[in-house]
Amino acid sequence: METNMETGLNNELLLLEPETLNACVSCGLCLPHCPTYRVTGDERMSPRGRIALMRSVDTKEFNPTPEWIHSMDTCVQCRGCETACPSAVPFGELISDTKKALASVRKLPLTIRIGLLILNKPRLLTGVTFLIGVLQKLGFMRNSSYIPSGVPLLKRQFKTTYSSQDPVLFTGCVMESWTPWVHTAALKTLAFFGVNVATSGKNVGCCGALHEHSGLRSVSIKMAENVMNEMPTTGPVLVNSAGCGAMLKEYGKLMGTEKAKQFSERVFDVHEWIAKNCKLPNRIEKKERLVVQDPCHLRHAQNSHQYVREVLSPFVEIVELPDEGLCCGAGGAFSVSQKELSTEIRKLKRTAFAEVNTEGEKFRVVSANPGCVTHLQSEGFEIKHPLEVVAEYVNEISETDEMSKFE
Amino acid sequence: MRKSQRKVKDPLLISLIKALSEDRVTDGAAARRIYSKDASVIEGGRAGVICFPEDTAEVVKCVSLANEYDREFVTRGAGTGLAGGSVPCNDPIVIVTTRMKKIIDVDIEKKIAWVQPGVVNLDLSNFLKGTGLHFAPDPSSQQACTIGGNVANNSGGPHCLAYGVTNSHIAALEVVLPDSSIVQLGSIEGEARGYDLRGVFVGGEGTLGVATRIAVRLTEDPPEIATLLLDFSKITDAAETVSQIIANGVLPAALELMDRNVVAAVEPFAKAGYPLDAEAVLIAEVDGLPDGVSHEVGIITDIAINNGAREVRIAADEEERERIWKGRKSAFGAIAKIKPDYYLHDTVIPRGRLAEVIEKVYKIAETHDLVVMNVFHAGDGNLHPLLVFDARIPGTLEKVKKAGEEIVRISLEAGGVLSGEHGIGLEKQRFMSQQFSERDLEAQDALRRSFDPENRSNPHKVLPTGSSCGELNSLNEIPEGVWI
Repeated sequence: METNMETGLNNELLLLEPETLNACVSCGLCLPHCPTYRVTGDERMSPRGRIALMRSVDTKEFNPTPEWIHSMDTCVQCRGCETACPSAVPFGELISDTKKALASVRKLPLTIRIGLLILNKPRLLTGVTFLIGVLQKLGFMRNSSYIPSGVPLLKRQFKTTYSSQDPVLFTGCVMESWTPWVHTAALKTLAFFGVNVATSGKNVGCCGALHEHSGLRSVSIKMAENVMNEMPTTGPVLVNSAGCGAMLKEYGKLMGTEKAKQFSERVFDVHEWIAKNCKLPNRIEKKERLVVQDPCHLRHAQNSHQYVREVLSPFVEIVELPDEGLCCGAGGAFSVSQKELSTEIRKLKRTAFAEVNTEGEKFRVVSANPGCVTHLQSEGFEIKHPLEVVAEYVNEISETDEMSKFE
Repeated sequence: MRKSQRKVKDPLLISLIKALSEDRVTDGAAARRIYSKDASVIEGGRAGVICFPEDTAEVVKCVSLANEYDREFVTRGAGTGLAGGSVPCNDPIVIVTTRMKKIIDVDIEKKIAWVQPGVVNLDLSNFLKGTGLHFAPDPSSQQACTIGGNVANNSGGPHCLAYGVTNSHIAALEVVLPDSSIVQLGSIEGEARGYDLRGVFVGGEGTLGVATRIAVRLTEDPPEIATLLLDFSKITDAAETVSQIIANGVLPAALELMDRNVVAAVEPFAKAGYPLDAEAVLIAEVDGLPDGVSHEVGIITDIAINNGAREVRIAADEEERERIWKGRKSAFGAIAKIKPDYYLHDTVIPRGRLAEVIEKVYKIAETHDLVVMNVFHAGDGNLHPLLVFDARIPGTLEKVKKAGEEIVRISLEAGGVLSGEHGIGLEKQRFMSQQFSERDLEAQDALRRSFDPENRSNPHKVLPTGSSCGELNSLNEIPEGVWI
């Protein structure tokens, strides 16, 4: 069988579902919603182009070349194209399966492999976290688009004992180690609403989203199994990272087992759960105008972005960005593996921020995913998790004893 | 963009890289594959070197290199065309305009904007939000298609019923002619002197040169808009309503018809609340001063009810209005929900004969045992019958081709024309001699040759050439590697 000389790959690489590929009629309505096409104007970096290339290998007409691989490697996997597609092509599945096929025949870049290993090994993560914390305190570490500033040296301890029906806050890997204050804010907010919540605990660890996005399917499935085994509850699982939430919600589809399906059904983005189950306070007098930046995995993958607005709306006036939820370029490991593209995409977000900031006021921005927050923070924006802002306001309410507003 | 990894050998490629930059010129096999197709079902295109110029000077370089190396060139925007107009034949240089996306200048007072051809249609109107102005042509693909492509195809769109197609909204053009010289056609200060060559260029489908800067006329936002959704149990009743609305002196901003199959395909995506049990849904939009709008809404409602409309719904707010339009504008893209392939015609027929021709279209599909979906600009009689099919089923393509030919024939017989807005491209070339006499076609060819004597700019398109490089879907009869 013929193979491509440079890649050593042949057209047996992909085994995608032909019907899924056929769902694309090449209309091109996805193009403007693809961040990599937006910045390059090159259809090799567009959903329609990528599908055409997948199809060409799937139908055995083409052997993957370096150019072909690059087209797949440069996908952020934001799934903005899925929201835009009138024929509902499941592009996320297609690219995920393609990345899996690629990962089976070649090694990922060293930096990515090291990063993914650290996420998967809690002890290693604790050590690395300590090191990062020290380097940051000594001023030896520059602002980075994937490591937040102010990483604490030691892990914060959250309450982990819970009864089997209570909601559990999934704390994850880096979020627990690097930005524990977001979890604190979530717990504070939930306590304010009178919800008794415990955290998932140290044995649960990473959800495997970044491993899945890199094509390491067998690793991500193992991690998914670990997460489910270590959370033997029957109550709701609340997630305050959009990327992890999307992954946990997809365990069922990924693994196909009854157990995984049932688990996924219990997963909620924390805003979604609050909006559906808690009585939000009456609107307070709004002083702050706040820009909401939707993480792609909340808006396009989970379609749950509206709940962030519901939870915020009693406290602040929400300013919408004019870019229809275009990706910010963070994309998990994307900001490491495709630094140049990631930076170009972030510039579009900067333009969108500038467009809503016509009066030159100083806005705060919120985004419900740690990756987006860090990626945008490194560009100098003041950006927080929505629940950090909500926690501030509920704190004020509690202090000024405005609880009566709830009755 | 990735730098080409292999040793560069082709002298044309080397020259183009020198003229632009290495990351904006490619002859990679993957790129050539992608750029050999547009949004139509035409296969068999062959792209040569693909370039991404960023300004007029770079386009000039691409075109002069085409001359120097005696190669053809094809200009392409977002590739949303439905007639194969930007499908390359014969390994031409493909000039992609998507990186020419600057809005150069907006003159609010003169209501003119100068833009580069790669500016996306909707991006311009979004950019103008708050100025009280917008760019009126709104093809269904407006969120993706480029203004350069609109110029090439003289594109229409739902709102062109009242506002006119692209040609009415182009004041002037800077064009790189096929010999690489730069000219300005038209003028932003009233009428141009001499013949209206601007008008010739608009709709030229890229055969007359490359537009590199476009002065578009901007339209004032209407003070009041009402969008009506009319629900019919017979499509002929809806067609009759359309004729009567206009016969009664009302010219709505838009008048769009969708049949039951189209509604079923788009509703799950658009969530516009279209009635799924209606045989036809008519979207009517009227705009203008508030009194006029409510008067016209009254007339349209009366006519619709007299013609058996089951319900007349008026969009309550901007959000509902947007959803109604989102559904209409996603129709082609949603086809895969029904079948994986579609073949679309674009004929225009006299409005008075809508009901009769539509019935015939359904008959034709029925005779060939095919599914047809109708979604079209009813107000100006511009049909878009979509024959949907699965090309993998043997014999289907032949049936589709046949049915397509019959649809064209009955449209022409009813006094209609071949294409309303999608252009002729490769796909409708073979029908040109049904509409035009030999002498007509010769005159058109002479006009084309006066712009492009060497037949270099998007050749093999529009006028019948005897051989066609692309074929409908997998009816790809040209063996790999054969030059045409």
